[in-house]
Amino acid sequence: MKIISKKDFDDFINALIKDESWNVIGVKSRGSKFAFGPLENAQELRLDYDVTLLPPKKYFFPQRETLFTYDLSGGFSAKNPDEAKPMVIIGVHPYDIVALLHMDEIFRETKSDPYYFNKRKASVIIGVNMQKMSKWNFSAYMGCAVIDYGYDLMLTDLGNRYAINTGSQKGEQLLAKYAKNVTPALARDIQIAGQKKREILSLSQQKFDFPPEFIPELLKDSYSNSSFWERHSEKCLACGSCVLVCPTCYCFDVKDNPDISLEHGERIRTWDGCLLEDFAKIASGENFRATRPTRYRHRYFKKGKYLFDRFGFISCVGCGRCSSNCLPNIANPVDLFNDMYNESLNNGAQAITATTHPEVNIQTEGNIDYVPKLATITKKVPMTLSETLFEVKLDDGTELGHKPGQFVEVSVFGIGEAPISLSSSPTVKGAFELCVRKLGNVTTRLHKLNVGDKIGIRGPFGNGFDVDSLKGKDLLFIAGGLGIAPLRSLFNYVLASRNDFGRVFLLYGCKEPKEILFGEELAALSLREDVDFRSTVNFCPENEVWTGNIGVITTLIPQISFDPEKTIAVLCGPPVMYKFVIADLKAKNMPDENIVMSLERRMKCGVGKCGHCQINQIYVCKDGPVFNYSKIKGVPEAL
Amino acid sequence: MSKEINVHHITRVEGHGNINVVINNGTVERCEWAIPEAPRFFEAMVVGRSWNELHHITSRICGICSIGHTLASLKATEAALGIKISEQDLKLRKLALHAENMQSHLLHVGFLVLPDLMAVGSVIPLASSHPAEVKTVLKLHRIANEMSNLLCGRTTHPQRLIPGGFSKIPTAKELAALRSKLMDAVPSLEAVAKLIKGLAGKLPDFKRETEFIALTDPNEYALYDGRIASSDTGSAPAREYLAYTNEYIVPHSTAKWAKHARESYMVGALARVNINYSKLSPMAKETAEMFGLAPVCHNPFMNNIAQLVETVHSVEDSIKLINELEADGLVPQPDYNKPEIKVKAGSGVGAVEVPRGILFHDYTYNDKGICTRANCVIPTNQNHGNISLDMKALVPQIIEKSKSEIELTLEMLVRAYDPCISCSTHVVKVNGN
Amino acid sequence: MKPKVAFFDFAGCEGDQLQVANLEEDLLALLGQVEVVSFREVMKEHSDNYDIAFVEGSCTRLQDEDRLKQIRKNAKIVVALGSCAAIGGINSLRNYKDLDSVKKTVYGDQAKLFDSYAARPIDAVIPVDAYVYGCPIDRDDFLHVVKSLLLGKKPETPTYPVCVECKKNENVCAFERGQFCVGPVTRAGCNSCCVNEGTICWGCRGLVDNPNENSHKEVLIKYGLTVDDAIGKFRLYFGWQEAKR
Repeated sequence: MKIISKKDFDDFINALIKDESWNVIGVKSRGSKFAFGPLENAQELRLDYDVTLLPPKKYFFPQRETLFTYDLSGGFSAKNPDEAKPMVIIGVHPYDIVALLHMDEIFRETKSDPYYFNKRKASVIIGVNMQKMSKWNFSAYMGCAVIDYGYDLMLTDLGNRYAINTGSQKGEQLLAKYAKNVTPALARDIQIAGQKKREILSLSQQKFDFPPEFIPELLKDSYSNSSFWERHSEKCLACGSCVLVCPTCYCFDVKDNPDISLEHGERIRTWDGCLLEDFAKIASGENFRATRPTRYRHRYFKKGKYLFDRFGFISCVGCGRCSSNCLPNIANPVDLFNDMYNESLNNGAQAITATTHPEVNIQTEGNIDYVPKLATITKKVPMTLSETLFEVKLDDGTELGHKPGQFVEVSVFGIGEAPISLSSSPTVKGAFELCVRKLGNVTTRLHKLNVGDKIGIRGPFGNGFDVDSLKGKDLLFIAGGLGIAPLRSLFNYVLASRNDFGRVFLLYGCKEPKEILFGEELAALSLREDVDFRSTVNFCPENEVWTGNIGVITTLIPQISFDPEKTIAVLCGPPVMYKFVIADLKAKNMPDENIVMSLERRMKCGVGKCGHCQINQIYVCKDGPVFNYSKIKGVPEAL
Repeated sequence: MSKEINVHHITRVEGHGNINVVINNGTVERCEWAIPEAPRFFEAMVVGRSWNELHHITSRICGICSIGHTLASLKATEAALGIKISEQDLKLRKLALHAENMQSHLLHVGFLVLPDLMAVGSVIPLASSHPAEVKTVLKLHRIANEMSNLLCGRTTHPQRLIPGGFSKIPTAKELAALRSKLMDAVPSLEAVAKLIKGLAGKLPDFKRETEFIALTDPNEYALYDGRIASSDTGSAPAREYLAYTNEYIVPHSTAKWAKHARESYMVGALARVNINYSKLSPMAKETAEMFGLAPVCHNPFMNNIAQLVETVHSVEDSIKLINELEADGLVPQPDYNKPEIKVKAGSGVGAVEVPRGILFHDYTYNDKGICTRANCVIPTNQNHGNISLDMKALVPQIIEKSKSEIELTLEMLVRAYDPCISCSTHVVKVNGN
Repeated sequence: MKPKVAFFDFAGCEGDQLQVANLEEDLLALLGQVEVVSFREVMKEHSDNYDIAFVEGSCTRLQDEDRLKQIRKNAKIVVALGSCAAIGGINSLRNYKDLDSVKKTVYGDQAKLFDSYAARPIDAVIPVDAYVYGCPIDRDDFLHVVKSLLLGKKPETPTYPVCVECKKNENVCAFERGQFCVGPVTRAGCNSCCVNEGTICWGCRGLVDNPNENSHKEVLIKYGLTVDDAIGKFRLYFGWQEAKR
């Protein structure tokens, strides 16, 4: 521990400001509150603050950030934003430092987010121990009120001087270069600093009735307690304030912002929040968390359970910002969890204990690339009034290299990005196919493009089908409507090495004959002896001809006989289809493990970051879109 | 020979107005200036609303002079509740008014009048035929808008102007930056003046003696404050405005008209220049001399030139005000400033010179600060009578001209007044209760 | 071929069209993308042949309905420009007054010459394809809608309230300053411009699609407003929308 007088500390800050190579950020007053902002001089710094309006994450993951700019005038060129300027942030409270460590884990999982880490790596964090505590703060309960890690330097106010703990070489060097008269701490100073830190723990005005480590266990049984969630969320304004001010929330939206020439523009990402109405809404209009109670519940589950299961920490540091920003006062986690705890005790629950720590194994490999590859539409085959099959080639001549069941993010510049399943088999080289339904803005615009037009491609994303595990098995493909598109990739793959598989069934249903996709290919199938193909329509208008089955897709299942133990059922269709098909398969004694399916959600980033496709603890874009039924049957939001 | 001129919804003016002239065998049978604009009943709408909302609501009377309406409204509320504002806030408000004056005058002279002088239908073809001139006007207009953004937080329907002062004020740095922009604007302004000078011969040489009414002040070119002055009768405090405005109903007009010492009077830039010529800034006077504009000028078409002169005055006076603020040392105020105000019952009148002339807001509040009565008198209302009489005097002088020439001249006449028709009907009066 | 664009106004302050004029240099760029065929405020020419009609102002008279219907007939796309056209706006304050007696006081025995009914947004009379909310409209928001239409895209309108933008802008909440605002139920898209300038959200962009009105009224009352004042806060801009709900 070191000591610096307050005057020398001010000189240190002023020296940093004077050296223009740094962005010097500190806590300043704003109205009756405080906020991090650029410092013009050391006098502006308010290290006696209670809490800032927004956490310092805004400097690493800004409210609005340009992912890249594009220029279509000469074909296409995209430019990434410049490198981050070195930044020093002064006066971060311990809980906000822990929150940054959480963000680090989230932004590095699977693939690192270069935008976040460029800025993070270029920064120096100077923490300060709390001198005042907001009345909503419960960081002491979360173990985040005092810390001895995560900072470069940490200050403790000792009256006319600061005690400085050094946490990194970066901090050490900063001090050596810009600060004068830094002396080693005397035993007395160390003692006072220790005393100050202990005092902080007693400042808390919030009180948990139980140790917060119990939260994941407590939540486990509360998901289906809908009256609990309805009661607590009745006054929710769905304004998103609780998540927007949260230091550990990281959900974002991605949009295109063309300029008025329409030739240039930028792709931006902005903060989003799972409490907001359209957060889980997909292009077809289906909203997977349409009501306030479900979104309200999702926030608590995400913080207290889903991220705990994934990362091993409760994603809350106890800063109390959510509570203080909620006008109807329903966002305080302490109140909610106390109520949940007491209600479960009243309902006769046995003593609750902490969940054993999950096994955390964070894989990370390379960086996320938000800039799409340029690609050309090489074929455009209209299939129905609203669906078209596009053949696409990457302009750099490389193969996409996808697995059946994966998807790509398709960009139409100026409009945005949309996730589209691959419908061609990886065995077809040189190009790939996308069967696209006209639904949202991107797909509608895509339909107006022609052969030769340029689009952007990111991916492939998602897990795809585990092809090897299917080998030697009988396969029962069940496709509803546009669900045939992703299944076709696997189906054609299977046909390409037909001998590796057992019997193959394909059941295909759609609303009416004119909506049938891949009609000619399917007609050819009925001539094959090594495939049992059956199709159905829900109805056939009077002026059209249909000689096949009429009825929903499940009416085909009794028509075939298969060995449930040896057969793998592969499902893809509209959300409503799964429940009925699974019930019928189960009735035929098919084991859960033998059912795999592909799910559709609002996949924005494709890499498990933006949060839109999340169903309970699962990111569809990263953990899926292909799931084994046995793994998701207990996931209430999946089906 | 008979001619009928019907201009339905005259263009390049704010709001809807119709001109209807019937000429039969060389005599004028009908000459009518009618206002079919939909009335909006603002004075009824504000009754029952709180003192801290009135300026927000009445700002919506007019998009183009929303700063003026806000200021007149604030002055009326402040007079009613006995609120004093600081010397600094007074200067900042004067700057806000200058911003609107410049913005509105430039829009009118540069975009709405210029096409007449250059014989085109709008500024749009000028953008390609005279790009440099259009860009110069745009640049000046943008500076005026930036100024209004800085003072009011917006170009239209200001936010920062609140009872008792400002919710937020510019920093000294921002004001200094504004001053250099204003200084840069001077050469552009000279270029615009030269351009108009070359075209001024197209303005009809028409005179009709009338009364002019404007605010006046012994110490400055009155815009934000002053006594009501008439070119016919002398002056009186603003609270006696009803003795000047005398509004009355005219058939086929949703707006009310006004008269004072004569059958009609004129307000606006020309009235102000006529009454307060000696208080104009030096460069503004030079500009007036360049066009031979001297008091008392009775040609309503010269209102366009008076607006140009006032634009120069606003630029020069704004620079002066910023210098004064700087010399006094700008006192910062807290974020989200909200002056402490004691609510009481009372009545107050606010009079402000806005781009189109003198504007009055007059409110009564009860002891809870709820508005129980409101009256607003709008410049364009005061001008309708004068427009109509000008028309009646002008038509016989041009009766031999072609129908289209008569139509154009009459349109130019209306446009010269820069009427804000939606304003003038938006505040149709509720008398009594 | 450049799409043909026309501007029209009804009962309103024309402040929204002024925002279009105030686009300054962007206006020149915009004129490179569209052909303006009617804009009474700035041009003499007029044509009924247009693709996109921008309509400002509320419908306040029966006689306005015919004009609106004609515009709808002529245009492929009708855009409501500003609060008065999009939600009824401040005009709907008068819907709480006894209009007949107001008119009689104003016009005396000639009152019947001046027909006038409850102020309403234009979509109460004709179908509307896109909305630019705000009083006045935000210039960037206007450009966003125009660019979307030029790209053949349905303009995205936030379904979340102003709080979202206000939090991102790190404002001190009006309620924390002893003031009252309706931001939690008002449609975002303005970048919380009024609060950024030190005041409050007045609600000019109208209610979000699914507002929790009762909860927010309770909040207003909890923080010290009377029931009448809380209702008054909602009436300032939400009059027509609330009457419809």
